[in-house]
Amino acid sequence: MLERYTLLLFGVCMKYLKNEEEAKDAVQQIFYKVIVEIEKYKVNYFKSWIYMIAKNHCLMTLRKRHENVTIEANEKLLFSDTNVNEYTYFENELTFDSIHEALLELKKEQKQCITLFFLEKRSYHEIADRTGFTLMQVKSHIQNGKRNLKLILEKKLKHE
Amino acid sequence: MSNELLDILSNNNDKINNQKLIDYVNGNLSDIEKHEVEKWMSDHDMVNDAVEGLEHLKNKKNLQTYVEQLNKNLQNQLAQKKQHQQKRKFKEYPWIYFAISLVLLLCIIGYIIIRKFLHTGGF
Repeated sequence: MLERYTLLLFGVCMKYLKNEEEAKDAVQQIFYKVIVEIEKYKVNYFKSWIYMIAKNHCLMTLRKRHENVTIEANEKLLFSDTNVNEYTYFENELTFDSIHEALLELKKEQKQCITLFFLEKRSYHEIADRTGFTLMQVKSHIQNGKRNLKLILEKKLKHE
Repeated sequence: MSNELLDILSNNNDKINNQKLIDYVNGNLSDIEKHEVEKWMSDHDMVNDAVEGLEHLKNKKNLQTYVEQLNKNLQNQLAQKKQHQQKRKFKEYPWIYFAISLVLLLCIIGYIIIRKFLHTGGF
């Protein structure tokens, strides 16, 4: 089962450590940690758990290198809103109209990126070309747009 | 349109397809497939981080080799762990092995004594 996550783990380690050899070593150490730790805990969401172990391991390595990890942490906040099954309860409660209304309440750039990505099924590159945003901005507008959409819909549900 | 609206909020796409990710990083996918991977990225932080990290690689063509190498090391780690567990088992329950050895020894001694008696006509 662990082999399914090798590529993802290697990618995550590369993102934080930015060095191929260090990333390979980190993956091996994470595997070791997982093999040892999995017997100690009841793990319900394996993917989230292994992701957390990988991130912590990389942040610890960066700290040992005395690198400023707050930038990484801040960046992480930008993308930290999506969790597995987080939105599933919405599906029964929401109408298409309410989602559409919430979409209109988003900031212009978020609405534009969300519409192009989810409704018109455009790739990040296509959206970047069309809007003039950078790839990072496109990703950020999509992630933040999703998070804000969820917040708006939560508010609406509370008021109903 | 309606289903696409719900798509914004759902995170159902949880299948891991490593080959598609490798192809994405190497720029070998069509626009539709690219969107599929990016939808997957937008649903899962781990995938998003992984793709960003893989894009830093100097030689992306070797990605499959790296993964195979890491998996091979993983198999070695698992084999070592299994071996270690077996050794630990013996250390944790030495009395079981002692009892089994004792019973076997008694059986052998009993067999030898009976045989000796039969030969000498002791019965």
